[in-house]
Amino acid sequence: MKFLPLIWSGIWRKPGRTILIVLQVSVAFALFGILQGMKTGVEEAIARTRADLLMVFPNVFGEPPLPVAYRDRIVAIPGVKAVTYADGILGTYQKPDQPVFVLGIEATNDLWLTLIPEIFKVEQRDLEALRKTRTGVLISEEIAKQYGWKIGDRIPLTSATLQRDGSGNWVFDVVGIFLAHEPGAGGYIVANYTYLDESRVANKGTVRNFYVVATDAGRAQATAEAIDRAFANSPSETNTNSLRENAQQGMQRIGDLNFLIRSIVSAVFAALLFSTGTLLMQSIRERTAELALLKTLGFTGRGIVLLIFTETALVCVTGALIGLALATTAFPYTAKWIPGLRMPSIVIATGVIASALVALISAALPARRAARLRVVDALAGR
Amino acid sequence: MKQYMALVYMNLAGIPGRLGLVATILIGVGCAVGVLVSMLAMGVGAQREAMGNVRPDRAVVLSVGAQGPQQSSIAKNVAAQIQDLPGIRRNADGKPIVVSEVLAFVQARDRLTGIKIGFALAGATPPLTDYMPELHLTSGRMFKPGLRELIASNVCAQKYADFVTGDKRTMRGGDWQVVGNFDIGKGGGTCVVFGDADVVLNSFSRNTYNVVYLMLESPDRFTALKAAIDANPSMHVAVKHEAEATEDSVKQLNGILNFISYFVGGIMGIAATLGAANSLYAVVDGRRRELATLRALGFRGGAVVASVLTESILLALPGALLGAGLAWILFNGLTASPFGFTFHLAVTAPIALTGIIWALVMGLIGGFLPAIRAARVPVTTALRAI
Repeated sequence: MKFLPLIWSGIWRKPGRTILIVLQVSVAFALFGILQGMKTGVEEAIARTRADLLMVFPNVFGEPPLPVAYRDRIVAIPGVKAVTYADGILGTYQKPDQPVFVLGIEATNDLWLTLIPEIFKVEQRDLEALRKTRTGVLISEEIAKQYGWKIGDRIPLTSATLQRDGSGNWVFDVVGIFLAHEPGAGGYIVANYTYLDESRVANKGTVRNFYVVATDAGRAQATAEAIDRAFANSPSETNTNSLRENAQQGMQRIGDLNFLIRSIVSAVFAALLFSTGTLLMQSIRERTAELALLKTLGFTGRGIVLLIFTETALVCVTGALIGLALATTAFPYTAKWIPGLRMPSIVIATGVIASALVALISAALPARRAARLRVVDALAGR
Repeated sequence: MKQYMALVYMNLAGIPGRLGLVATILIGVGCAVGVLVSMLAMGVGAQREAMGNVRPDRAVVLSVGAQGPQQSSIAKNVAAQIQDLPGIRRNADGKPIVVSEVLAFVQARDRLTGIKIGFALAGATPPLTDYMPELHLTSGRMFKPGLRELIASNVCAQKYADFVTGDKRTMRGGDWQVVGNFDIGKGGGTCVVFGDADVVLNSFSRNTYNVVYLMLESPDRFTALKAAIDANPSMHVAVKHEAEATEDSVKQLNGILNFISYFVGGIMGIAATLGAANSLYAVVDGRRRELATLRALGFRGGAVVASVLTESILLALPGALLGAGLAWILFNGLTASPFGFTFHLAVTAPIALTGIIWALVMGLIGGFLPAIRAARVPVTTALRAI
């Protein structure tokens, strides 16, 4: 502790150089934080998604929706714990460029309370309010703010989905709220499936998809296959995937970026190591006389090595912390397109350890040189 | 000028004595340029792969307003009408080379991981081989009209399960036989699967095509064709050159790749600039006496500034060449497949040049402050320190 002032004055011996090194280290670690954070964050986000929640969609993209009657057949499949479904219509509010997606859910089903809380969260009270009002809707905070809606309002929407009377004008009553955690989730509201289905003229008795909770997450894959098998060769074949499988598919498309990230991070560290190493070397060379003086005063070789290591580590770790803090702040903006992504703490920890290592490696050579210094030679300026 | 030349010569002559600091600039700039160039090479590679087979005498017809085949829908009678339009080349049998295509998105499984992944099954009408002479079967034969037969590109066969000639796939409650594998000319980085148009339309209960491809008698007949299509708004279709349509399809991927390239390259550039500045500061500091002596001898500040900047740029330049060279050696021709699109990285002269310009900017900015410092060495104090 008593050497702290000594270390401190060593750091600020050349303020310009130290500030530049700190800046350089922080820029390098900001990049490391963002890239590595993206990679690890995506992997963690995938691991967090539920493997036991299956989504049943039509097998071919753009095919007609699935009959709601499939529900009873899905429930009977072994390994299925609970089933619900949803369908939606697209409408616009007041102007054609203000789209509102109305998601019709099976409000009588309490499954919605726990189905996908990380994406869609609804309280018992709001779900019951929806249940009681046929034309009711739940709104998210974003859309409430956007259009100034509040509970009790009547919302008229225009849609290409026609009602039985031939009009595309739909009216909903705001009865409650729900929480949405999805990018661009501000654009949808939640209504009763029964209201949508009874009122529309086409596609009656069909749903966009089913949500199936499997009894055992480990056997979810087999359950998914059993569902698809049950409807194979029928007019509406299904394609069932767990939420995690969907996330993995998305990840696979990003694919080779992992290799790229690794290459970039190595290049960054190679350049950084070399740069800090040389500058330290230069710094030690300039301080030869001062170090010799310390030795004269009784500092051992080991003491001086420790002094130099601490000094370097302080500079590097400070730089890394600034960089990682920057990365964490910037992270939500760079990774906007991946929902549920946050900076993994393991990346921060790895970063700090890496910065200590950078300090250790780049200080090794200069420290050795300083420790071997011969006082007489150094003071004589030889 | 004479002073400047003398100073530059002096700076360069001093390099062997400061190898460490010089190497810092070289390596820092080299890494930044290397990363920038290799990442830009992805964008160029993707573009090249997509445009590899583009011919000026081919055109693509989509419904009005559609961004790509997926959003487009062309009725059968409109597709038939297109056959009679002017400017279209005819094949050996005297039939117009017009291919109507319907797309169905079906699931496949990754050959190694078993993860499901979607692919587009294209149902195409017969003149397909006339339209795509670059389609080259490597095994098996063409699919026969009216049968549930498929041909798949070799990319599919390598990546996904059940796409090798002789394999059977179950789709829409029927067995489909894979009867051939093929390569597509220079490009073909994606999985492409063809079947007979009528069979796909029936099996997937569709009644419209997505897109119509056609071959022109010659590239300049495009205007005649476009005029004929524009004169008939009831068809509700628009025609584009193949090059334009292809460019539209890779625009988004390229946008993402270029954004990442410049973002990462920019950050690394900042780090390299800081490193260069720091090294040059050290160099200038080490030469305080020398510089003070020169100033005392009557060398002007401007010449000193210019000489330090020149040194900085002259050091950044080999760094850039090193980086671009490494990128070329390590990554040129390497296969990458981000976002489900496979292509070879292409390190070309223009992007190498971009990297070099980038490096010069780094050298200039990094050298700026140290140069000013060099020019401001207070003559008396510096000389007194002797």
